Amino acid sequence: MLEKILTLEFRKLVTSVIDDIKNYHNRVTEKEFEKDKRRILNELLTEIDVYPPDIVLNEDYLVAAIDGSGSENFFLLDDIRVHLISTATVVLNTNTKFGDPFRPMSNDEVSRVMGKDQPNLDLLWHLGVREDAAEKLAEMFELLYPIEDIPSLVLPFFQDVIQKTIDKLEDLRDTEFGQYIDEFHKMVTLISRGNLLTTSAAHDELRKTAEYAAAKRLLISDIKPRFLLLDGAMSVFIHFARQYPSLPSGFMLRDICKTAREKGTILCAVSKNHTIPFAHRIAKMAEEKFGKNKKWFCLLPSNDDPGGGLHIYSNRTYIPPRLAVPYLFSFSGDNRPSRIDFDRIWWLENIFVEGDPESTRENEIALFRELEFMSRDARWYGYPVPLALAHTECKISYEDLSIAKDILSDVLHESDLDPRFAKSLRSDFNM
Amino acid sequence: MLNKEKLGSLFGRIGMGDQSSLWIMGSNEDICVGEIFAIYSKRDNHERVFFYRVLKLHNYLRRVDDLSQVAGTLMVEGDAYLSGIDRNKLIELGGKMLGYAELVENEKGERIWRFKSPRRIPEHLAFVYRPVKGESDVIYCDMLHSQIGGEIYIGDFQIGEDTLDVPVNIESKFLPMHVGIFGSTGAGKSNLMMVLIKSMIDNNLKVIRGQSTSNLVSAFCIDPHDEFATGVDTYGIHDIVKEMDENTRKELFGEFYYLTSHLSATPREIKRYAKEIRILWKEIIPQDLYSIMSFTPQMSAFIEAMYHAHGEDWIEAIIQLDENDDSVDRSNLGSMRAVKRRLKFLENSSIFVDSGQSILPEIYFAMETGKILVVNTSLMSDREQFLLTTIVTRTISDLRRAAKSSGLIRDFEAQCRVRLPISFYNKIERKAKAFYGKGGTTNEHEVRDPRDLPIVMITVEEAPSILNPTLMEGQSVFKDISRQGRKFNMGLLVVSQQVSVLDNVILSQMNTEINLRLGNEREIQACIDNASVNISGFEDEFRVMNRGEALLTASYRDMPIPVRIPLFDDVFKRNRSNYKRMASSRKRDKHII
Repeated sequence: MLEKILTLEFRKLVTSVIDDIKNYHNRVTEKEFEKDKRRILNELLTEIDVYPPDIVLNEDYLVAAIDGSGSENFFLLDDIRVHLISTATVVLNTNTKFGDPFRPMSNDEVSRVMGKDQPNLDLLWHLGVREDAAEKLAEMFELLYPIEDIPSLVLPFFQDVIQKTIDKLEDLRDTEFGQYIDEFHKMVTLISRGNLLTTSAAHDELRKTAEYAAAKRLLISDIKPRFLLLDGAMSVFIHFARQYPSLPSGFMLRDICKTAREKGTILCAVSKNHTIPFAHRIAKMAEEKFGKNKKWFCLLPSNDDPGGGLHIYSNRTYIPPRLAVPYLFSFSGDNRPSRIDFDRIWWLENIFVEGDPESTRENEIALFRELEFMSRDARWYGYPVPLALAHTECKISYEDLSIAKDILSDVLHESDLDPRFAKSLRSDFNM
Repeated sequence: MLNKEKLGSLFGRIGMGDQSSLWIMGSNEDICVGEIFAIYSKRDNHERVFFYRVLKLHNYLRRVDDLSQVAGTLMVEGDAYLSGIDRNKLIELGGKMLGYAELVENEKGERIWRFKSPRRIPEHLAFVYRPVKGESDVIYCDMLHSQIGGEIYIGDFQIGEDTLDVPVNIESKFLPMHVGIFGSTGAGKSNLMMVLIKSMIDNNLKVIRGQSTSNLVSAFCIDPHDEFATGVDTYGIHDIVKEMDENTRKELFGEFYYLTSHLSATPREIKRYAKEIRILWKEIIPQDLYSIMSFTPQMSAFIEAMYHAHGEDWIEAIIQLDENDDSVDRSNLGSMRAVKRRLKFLENSSIFVDSGQSILPEIYFAMETGKILVVNTSLMSDREQFLLTTIVTRTISDLRRAAKSSGLIRDFEAQCRVRLPISFYNKIERKAKAFYGKGGTTNEHEVRDPRDLPIVMITVEEAPSILNPTLMEGQSVFKDISRQGRKFNMGLLVVSQQVSVLDNVILSQMNTEINLRLGNEREIQACIDNASVNISGFEDEFRVMNRGEALLTASYRDMPIPVRIPLFDDVFKRNRSNYKRMASSRKRDKHII
């Protein structure tokens, strides 16, 4: 294709698509942004009052982070797909008293406390057949996620949504969710949109479950981190009609939010890929307002917040995610802005002060001061170092995968199976 | 199975590479270029220890692709830190494989180390050990025995800026295959020469004490700065002489060890063991002059004609030649004048004289009886020094050549009378026959093989002046010695600041090189190109060498050996007591006169 890519026609094609996008922006959303500009500038964009480099905290604390990686194509045996999933949990001590900030705990120590090897590697499989697929996935979820029973997994979501005392499933009887109570006893029936489980979706769900499982294990362990950072957003697929998560991971997220709150841990989900429209324009506004290389954040309010949600994402139902509070932030002028989501219940209890925007702002600044302080590692400046370390720990490189497939090939051979299952079907045809 | 702890402290693991060069990932230790590491491998159940020399160092941060970018961020972002970085700080070493030692069984069933060239590669991710002084010395001695053994001590095995207690030696039998010492001013050549002289004395001491069966080593050591006898710092060769009891001194040095052009200028304590250099014009032959200066064919023809006509009085004849004399061929007046001009230095020389007592026979006797002579040339002109070296070399070479090509003493004598100035031969005849005759000196006695005689080492100082391509094109005596010296047990000890200007014949015949710090890139490259073993890639190392550090290369060894030459004072103090007592002498062959 290179001969095509290098032509003037291809360049024209790219230009026309860009123009098309610009036109869309101009036509549809620019007007919306204009409506939000003043509010963003005056009320939502906030400069962070950063710690000095040699800060010694009154009380050093622990920060934990979890990330996962994997391959959805580890191998395919007819219609059975095997996924390679890795997760890493790292725990760091702010350690400012000893002048060696964010000192990581050894993997051995984290493994010992969590009762799970760090980093962790797992092989999970599922079927392509629709009903069997859900059954098998549910089995995998149960295998991964540490729970006593399914009702205790689903209850936190409903407790957070309804905001009334819900101690047992039966308490949902008189609510809009009452008609679905029977669905909340088995993992498999929590998968209410099984028809959407493509290979890639199944892989994402397995990986997300593995990460949430690690978060849960950490939260129920003896380690007491002040922050727990997850990679990604707190987005949850909500069933359009039933209005509860269409996949178990949505319930798991609420379960870890609840556990974190009980433990006094601040749960945050950081995503580089923020999907916030006009984020680059907001960043430009921040630069103009605070100056270049200043560190800032911008609350992305919901309709329930004072002043309501922003117009720029009014037609995006997933912003803010259900029960989450997202912020756009930048801790380095060299990087594009990122997004961080907090558990809305925690946020309402700890950050938001009803009728007192100044106190709310102070709480936000204090929160982001900590987050900024943990994002100064020179290797990943502007990105939280615990997450960066978790990412490096769990990353499965191309070379790693290749060696894993060599081992798979050996095992297939020993098991009287065709070792070619370890390779892509394309390789049969030299493609 | 080898106790790996003896190899040193565990440092790292090997990464990428091949059988000649490898990358090692090691812990964040204070490593320097030139350090030697041992790599333990047991591939296919073959237990081997590979030797590796560091040529390059990289700081490596695990999981960081662009270290410069991190450094830049630390500079620009004043509040940046590095979290938990210590465990990720590693040192990546680039270097050369020097070879490997393998435990094998010899014919007696004993397990011994055998050293081999780097024809293999250690197993994947093999462990790398850093030798520890005081702990690893013995095993390194054992493993490297074939690479560092011998009678002539040079220095200690160097690992980076430090040394192991592992002495590096040359086997005396390889001395006649010529030794080159290359180093710029201040690189430590004089100290090395003194250490070498001491080692040759020590070798001879062991031989006369019956502690060694190797040959005696004689040496004609040119001392251009008159520092060998009294020393560069505190001690010199004279202190060795002083330490000895009378018998030992006589056996090792005879009546003298110090030669000088001006005896009167010699310190009193040395004067006892000194002689004045006087060489008669009669003892010089045309080839001696051809070896040290260039002559046109017409000039050579004139010299040959005069030599033919006047025999050993040829120099006197030329000097006294009056161009107005009727007998002079006037068509060749230009050549005659040019030759006379060239010989002018002999007229003005204090050491080359037309009459008197020559020292040449005594030098010859000393060389044939395993003596060391220190020759102070500090008061001589370069030309005098070169001619002296040439005459001594040619004289001994001609005698040994005559011996080598003779079956009986009769043949030997006939050859000597053709090769040597007759007046000189007459002076040494009796002793020469004693040296070379097997069991007697009559005409019918067989002649000994020169390889059973003492090894004679002739130092050629400022070597480029006489070992350059121009002079070596002609009838240089050094060309013959370089090619055939080993047959007569004669070797050259070539000392030079430059390698690039030496003649290729000399360089190609040189089988041992002691390469000290060199002056410039051209000399470094020439040194690498001419080394007897492959040391390509060692350029950086030459650039960081300190005074007294050297790389020993030898054609008969597989591994280039880094050596630290100790100060003469230190080695002298270390074993000065060796010279004090005379152990029971082994009965040596006596020459029958």
